[in-house]
Amino acid sequence: MNRTTRLGPALARLGLAALVVAALLPARAEAILQVVTTTEGLAALAREVGGDRVRVESLSRGIQDPHFVDPNPTLAVKLRNADLLVDMGLELEVGWLPPLVNQSRNPDIQVSGSRRLIASNAVEVMDIPSGPIDRSQGDIHPSGNPHFLSDPRRAERVAAAISAKLAQLDPAGAAYYQGRLADFDRRLDAAMVRWRSELAPVKGAKVVTHHNSLRYFLDFAGVSAAGYLEPKPGITPPPSHLADLIGLVKSSGVKVIVVENYYDRKAADLVARLSGAKVVVIPGDVGGSKEASDYTSYVDTLVRALAHARQ
Amino acid sequence: MLQLVVLSFLAAQAGAEAPTPPPAAQQAPATAAEDRKKLEEQIAKELGTQAQPVPGVTNLPGPAPAVAASDSVKGGSPFGRLLQLPDFSAIVDGALGYTSLSRAQQGLTADPLPQQLVQPLLQEVELAVQAAIDPYARGDIFITFSLDSVEVEEAYLTTLSLPWGLQVKAGKFYSPFGRLNQLHRHQWVFVDQPLSQQRLVAGDGLNGPGVDLAWLAPLPWFLEVHLAYQDTLPGFESVRQLTGVGRIIQYFDLADWATLGAGLSWAYFQAPTSTSWKNLAGADLFVKIRDPASRAYVTLQGEVFARQRAAQDLGQASWGGYGQLVWRLDREWELGARFDGAPFEYVPSTSPAPLPPGTEYGYSLLGTFYASEFLRVRVQPSWQRLPGGANGIQVFASFEFSVGVHGAHPF
Repeated sequence: MNRTTRLGPALARLGLAALVVAALLPARAEAILQVVTTTEGLAALAREVGGDRVRVESLSRGIQDPHFVDPNPTLAVKLRNADLLVDMGLELEVGWLPPLVNQSRNPDIQVSGSRRLIASNAVEVMDIPSGPIDRSQGDIHPSGNPHFLSDPRRAERVAAAISAKLAQLDPAGAAYYQGRLADFDRRLDAAMVRWRSELAPVKGAKVVTHHNSLRYFLDFAGVSAAGYLEPKPGITPPPSHLADLIGLVKSSGVKVIVVENYYDRKAADLVARLSGAKVVVIPGDVGGSKEASDYTSYVDTLVRALAHARQ
Repeated sequence: MLQLVVLSFLAAQAGAEAPTPPPAAQQAPATAAEDRKKLEEQIAKELGTQAQPVPGVTNLPGPAPAVAASDSVKGGSPFGRLLQLPDFSAIVDGALGYTSLSRAQQGLTADPLPQQLVQPLLQEVELAVQAAIDPYARGDIFITFSLDSVEVEEAYLTTLSLPWGLQVKAGKFYSPFGRLNQLHRHQWVFVDQPLSQQRLVAGDGLNGPGVDLAWLAPLPWFLEVHLAYQDTLPGFESVRQLTGVGRIIQYFDLADWATLGAGLSWAYFQAPTSTSWKNLAGADLFVKIRDPASRAYVTLQGEVFARQRAAQDLGQASWGGYGQLVWRLDREWELGARFDGAPFEYVPSTSPAPLPPGTEYGYSLLGTFYASEFLRVRVQPSWQRLPGGANGIQVFASFEFSVGVHGAHPF
């Protein structure tokens, strides 16, 4: 009787241990390449070109401001087993990614590692400061504007870089990745024709955004930013700035104020109400809203938002 | 706890027995991978080197350099040396402090205040230099200046490429004991440390030269085990002590919006010239609730400490702890409340004892305004209840700013 009593807990422990081990093993065997990205946009591109040969996970979610993700140690666990880490670069993730990489025990995903792809290295970067900078200019990105994935032309470049990197890591799948990239490019090229047509009426228009995060998409659309709700990057707008902005919106004929859905829209609503413009809320990234479920549908939402800027 | 260790060990064994093969090798016959491994071992044997690859220079090409390595710039880059500079930053903490308590009534504390005066304080200037040392390790150096001293707060290397989930920290660093103890002053939510941390652990943090071996268990959640050997000066001692520290810390994602961290710590102190030992145990809990789409969050944090000194306490344990609730309302505003309890202890030279033995309780409120990510202003009123029934009030109005590039902090 006593023996049975002792064996019970021992067996329970063994069973639990077996469950833990069983839970671990299939996860390791399921996918060929474990790709971890810092943003949902990068994850969407990795899925497009990686297909069934990769398992992709994003450290942040599309509803999050990518500047301010918590460096939760549970994310370091995802990085520990990563075969490839893809990040945006240009200091977008500087506030949270470095400690996670350091904690991960994965030497190959360090900045100089062979399993690290910094997406910004694949694109032409805008807003690179040309003179001395300091934080009196706000929390600026000293290496240039990191919000380049809203531009489908640059997304194609990043997808190509991911495809090339996957082929290096998995040579047996090189043709597969190349084929998927060609298919993605074909679909995106067709979408770009459609988007350009839809954006033609707003070409030359001006909009206001919260942060300088739509720079690349506006460049693609032929639209410019008349101003920003933030007086300087990362700085909350004081009333004096909003008053100036209301005047600017009126004098520049701005019809729309575009705000990512992770920002507080109070200031945008106020400026819109006092200037006659309209606030349009957009997802900050793929996955930032129900409609933006993949890269193409994410850009669709941006195109629809700019349609409100029609003169 | 034993079950957890057993599970971790079993899981580690499972991980060790079924490592993830290199992706290319998964597609190739197993023999190709074996041949490759044998070849590497043979080369290593003949060259007398390790078979462990150098991080980032395996058989794969490295990433493209941040600056395109093109082409022909006459005379090379004029910014070459600048690009190699480490991250430099300085963080300054200043305050106005007031207390209604006498020096003796303040007991053992890191930063005593003059009674019933509004005292300007420059609590700390921290200078940080941080960079990768080489492909294998990174270095972090923190020098702190106060009005009358300069101290190496931390100066350590951290390995980045050890196998089996291991990581070594060597140099001078905060002991891996508890949660608050490992934070620099500018990472504290409140202006001061709880009394329990100051009295039972160390006023300026348990810290000293030594080595820390940390193991990240191959589990689906975060479980890290630390074993450290250091030379420290705990708050309750006047001479440095050889110190062994152990810690287990785990983090779980309860939901997209909730994270739980739980840790157990233990330290054993022994003065080199004494046979009198001291034990210190701690348990810490941390919960963060945050809507991912928002900057607002709520954190709940608590720690309890138990100290046992063979000589002074005759083996009886002294207890203390704190609990704090912090509500970040938005990008700019934060509110907090803290409850704290610790045995009243005083500077040994104070004679006679200023108060009867017993527990001192502290109740603090906090209001913080963040002008930006690099400047915050805080106000912290506290009410203290001393053994014997006396009460005291303490108030801090503090500012903190940082300049330069400062490495991101762990969670």
